[in-house]
Amino acid sequence: MSAPVQTNAGALILDSHKLAYHMDRIKAWESGERFAPVSVDMALTRGCGAMCSFCYAMMQEAQERSSIKTAHVLNLLDDFATIGVRGVSLISDGESTLSKAYVPFIQHAAKLGIDVGNATNGWEWESEKIEQVLPYLSWVRFTVGAGRPESYAKIMYKGPEHTNVFDRAMKNIRYAVELKARNRLPVTLGIQMVLMPELKDEIIAFAQLGLDLGVDYAVIKHCSDDEQHTLGIDYSKYEQLHALLVQAEAMSTETTKIIVKWDKILDGDKTPYQRVYGPPFLLQISGSGLVAPAGMFFNARYGKMHIGNFTEERFIDIWRSERYWQTMNYLASPAFDAPTMMGTLPIAHYVNTALDRHVKGVERIVQASGPKPLHVNFL
Amino acid sequence: MINLSYAEVKTPEPGLPWRNLSDVERLKLVNDSLNHEFIVFRESISVVEAKGNGQIIVTLIKPLQAKERGVLLFDLEEFLKNVIDPSLVVWLQPLGDRNSLRNLRGIEVKK
Repeated sequence: MSAPVQTNAGALILDSHKLAYHMDRIKAWESGERFAPVSVDMALTRGCGAMCSFCYAMMQEAQERSSIKTAHVLNLLDDFATIGVRGVSLISDGESTLSKAYVPFIQHAAKLGIDVGNATNGWEWESEKIEQVLPYLSWVRFTVGAGRPESYAKIMYKGPEHTNVFDRAMKNIRYAVELKARNRLPVTLGIQMVLMPELKDEIIAFAQLGLDLGVDYAVIKHCSDDEQHTLGIDYSKYEQLHALLVQAEAMSTETTKIIVKWDKILDGDKTPYQRVYGPPFLLQISGSGLVAPAGMFFNARYGKMHIGNFTEERFIDIWRSERYWQTMNYLASPAFDAPTMMGTLPIAHYVNTALDRHVKGVERIVQASGPKPLHVNFL
Repeated sequence: MINLSYAEVKTPEPGLPWRNLSDVERLKLVNDSLNHEFIVFRESISVVEAKGNGQIIVTLIKPLQAKERGVLLFDLEEFLKNVIDPSLVVWLQPLGDRNSLRNLRGIEVKK
């Protein structure tokens, strides 16, 4: 896993994990205790106005699509605080900025002392909304499919002629960058490109866009696929992109770091573990309200790993239930074979890999020393 | 508690008796086993396919809440492992994306 990237605000870990800062949870796990996730990755809706060609949400349709109301998410946050969840990322399988619960969610989490980060396309993130949430966010990561307007519109929307979506996103990102500087907000702003092998001509343009916008970082990551290869990603083709990725990284400046998630790109579709230990530490919740151990299990196909829905019962009761722990234990049992039963490179990949190496004694996780990195509560 | 002792244990593969059966024979074996057992399986689940690689594909006869279907399907899988072959795993049929905009991409979830 890659070393942290030093930024003006502190060390940024994007191509690794932060388990070494949460040894209390590791010890509870090893002692056979029940423990709260350090981080939860979730969405407030399954809806989205974009149609990104790389979007994993296309493979995440569950049986139901419950409507998540503000009251549901305020209860959810109260339950998170009660059990000790430390960070919540609004990412997952929907565009959370579209939800009416979006602003209340972020503001309530801040009151409870829970860190919140948000990944968004930035299309429905106008200045008024930005002002309401930016002071309370630890980070915002904008999905930017490509560095050029026409390519961006082709990858993320209906076609290259729809560059208005690019213009709107850039306007909103620029406003956030300005607001952060003006009010000296402790929020990290980044853009992310999901690299499909056929997008090699977009790599340098994307890095340049990051510099032009003045965001803190521009990260390039792999594209995940399910175990049936629905998206048809050919992981062998990533190797041809290495020189361009190295060139992009070298464009980093004092203000903007260009970061490549080398670890995931190099692992490709080769899952290095059989058992999946990460979900109790990094839980995922769908924009349908579904609680499942990982986003890759949201689809109806994985119904046996559907634990509950927080719009139908309180999250704290789901977390306390036997079925929650039965599901986590199933993923740690010989019945589950990660290389053949789940998609490639899940969000918890770094955590899964590190915990697997820890259990096998290959590389033990030990208490970190020194200053905490940025976003320590997002594993 | 989460059992951490299986990190390097191989997932069981279907035995010869299972692999030597035809698709029709495997499906019959699964259905016969269920018909002799718990009424809850018969009332809730229809078996669609029983593959040579140990995957049992089922559908739910009636909608179940997330908290109910997870438990039911785990119980079903455990039952089949015990009575037929320890390698058997249960999956539901996948659902495609309901987002009409994203569906313009023409990507279908593979079965």
